[in-house]
Amino acid sequence: MADRSVVIRSTRSSWSNCPDAGHILNDVSIETAAAGSRHSAIYLLHDVVKNREAKGVAFRLRVPSLRIDRGEKIALIGESGSGKSTLLDMLAFILQPSAAGAFRFRPEEAADSLDLDACWQDDNLNLLGDMRKRHIGYVMQTGGLLPYLSVYDNINLSRSVLGLRRDGTVEHLAEMLGIANQLKKRPDALSTGERQRVAIGRALAHRPAIVVADEPTASLDPFAAQNVMSLFLGLADEFNSTVILASHAWHHIKELGLRRLSHRTTHTSGSKLTETVVSG
Amino acid sequence: MIRNLFKAFRLATSDYLHEWQMSVCFILGLAAVLGPLLVLFGLKFGLVGAMLDQLIEDAGNREIRPVGSGHYDHAWLESVRAQPEVAFLVPRTRSIAATIELASEQSSRIVPVELIASASGDPLLAPDAPLPEGLTRVVVSSRTAEKLGVKPGDVLDGSLARRYRSQQERVHLDLTVAAIAPEQAFSRDGAFVSVQLLEALEDFRDGRAVPALGWRGMQADAERSYPGFRLYARSIQDVAGLRDAFADVGVEVHTRAAEIELVQRMDRNLSVIYWVIAVIGMVGVSLSLGASLWANVDRKRKQLSVLRLVGFRTRDIVWFPMVQALYTAVLGWALAVAIYYVTAWVINIMMATQVEAGQQICRLLEIHYVVALALTCGAAVIAAALAGMRSARIEPAEGLREL
Repeated sequence: MADRSVVIRSTRSSWSNCPDAGHILNDVSIETAAAGSRHSAIYLLHDVVKNREAKGVAFRLRVPSLRIDRGEKIALIGESGSGKSTLLDMLAFILQPSAAGAFRFRPEEAADSLDLDACWQDDNLNLLGDMRKRHIGYVMQTGGLLPYLSVYDNINLSRSVLGLRRDGTVEHLAEMLGIANQLKKRPDALSTGERQRVAIGRALAHRPAIVVADEPTASLDPFAAQNVMSLFLGLADEFNSTVILASHAWHHIKELGLRRLSHRTTHTSGSKLTETVVSG
Repeated sequence: MIRNLFKAFRLATSDYLHEWQMSVCFILGLAAVLGPLLVLFGLKFGLVGAMLDQLIEDAGNREIRPVGSGHYDHAWLESVRAQPEVAFLVPRTRSIAATIELASEQSSRIVPVELIASASGDPLLAPDAPLPEGLTRVVVSSRTAEKLGVKPGDVLDGSLARRYRSQQERVHLDLTVAAIAPEQAFSRDGAFVSVQLLEALEDFRDGRAVPALGWRGMQADAERSYPGFRLYARSIQDVAGLRDAFADVGVEVHTRAAEIELVQRMDRNLSVIYWVIAVIGMVGVSLSLGASLWANVDRKRKQLSVLRLVGFRTRDIVWFPMVQALYTAVLGWALAVAIYYVTAWVINIMMATQVEAGQQICRLLEIHYVVALALTCGAAVIAAALAGMRSARIEPAEGLREL
């Protein structure tokens, strides 16, 4: 794998303060030395920490350095409780990091990068919501479909929020996902696998720059899981989306050619602290 | 912004309809508390309102009459009439002299009638009907009109007798029926006449001359005084004050102030009781509605988190439970009004024989429905907005993990 040492050409103070328009950082560039070429990073994290505590047991996720390039397909592999979902939630702007040296996001190559940590610090949830709306698709482990909407409306939800017109995308996705004849049904009339396909359709329907998937095939049998995962990655390719997914099934992920993020989990029995360090 | 608000509105409606069983439970829960409250207020308002209406509508309740006979001259009567609390005042002559026998061509009967002094503004007579006037025009009671078979415009023969200088004398005079008095104005045989005619008849009986009617006799006194008067207060609230004012100048009067005070006291007491119950009821409605809406929003936190995930803003998320709360409030209110209507109808049917025609024991005004709706919607919106804001402030990840 190429050397991915990260150079941040800015000082912490230049992007820590984040007034409304100031979340956009146009004086900072992200570079990486990868086989001598210059790539565009979509995420850049540096010294990001998330602490959690429940019933006297503490968990810490630490990301000393993480860079994800545009168009990459990244896999987070690990056992339950290793912090995969926590990292995905932070990357999807739905979970605030406890601390961050740098947490930056550049959804489009031509766009300026956004200081997400500053947005969280400023409690600018609406800006984070706008970013999610435009650039993120999220596939949840259990689908997360709205029970009162039809399959069509569930898939179309991400498009309708953006005010996108009907252009056949929903029908195309439904066709590709094999649920074209289920569009008028409600989620409770579908099988688990079908519901998961609808969730994938919703995550891709607005053609987001990034699709985050949290164990999207965990509730499916192995054959269906392989099938759905292939469909998902194929569609993400077709839509030019960067994919970040968490999974238990490394063998299958490896076959699909995803880059695996390395992680190390340590348990300290004395302090009852579990710490996972992710880098990549 | 408008697009997302509209979108949230549409989603909230879809969800409300999708979970119709839960929605019906919320509506029923609200109506079960609000309906009886409306009935309670309808009873309080109808019952006391009916009694007050009866007091106000019946002019007899505003009447003030002196007890026994006195000597009231013109100047004194004028000073009383000038009081702002006085709506109408007319002097009366001695009761024994205020009678006459009436006969008509339409009937063979001779009917002895009582004469009641009247004038313009008499509350006992219809305001737009012709009044008794001068020495010839009278308004007869409906009972007398029936006995004599007369109608307005007919001419009656009035006759009265006296013993003058040891001789029995009887005089006759033509009296034109100006109008028939309403039945409730005077239930016995009687006629409303001008003070001028009453004075003439009293003069004749006392042996004095009445030149205007060609009746001979002694010279009349220069200064006339009256044994009594008929007075009406402007409102039932003025009756007690006038009674006290007369008592201050040594004039004992008969009024219905005690009955009026009883009803007013009953109104005050019932109002206090009602408002205690109403406040407890409204607090109950608000808490019940607030708790159910709060619990509902908490239950939907997962779905609201999905909306947050796909980019709905904080205010759009708050709008979602508020729309549903408004549906519950409006539909719950409508059902409560329906419950009220049915209950009030049954109560009014059951009590119809106890009250006068047209009166209702249980009734509400339009403004009462509007106020009930406004209070219900207000409580619902506040509860839903608080719960929605709480939900909107929670990190979406927290809600999504529950899905």
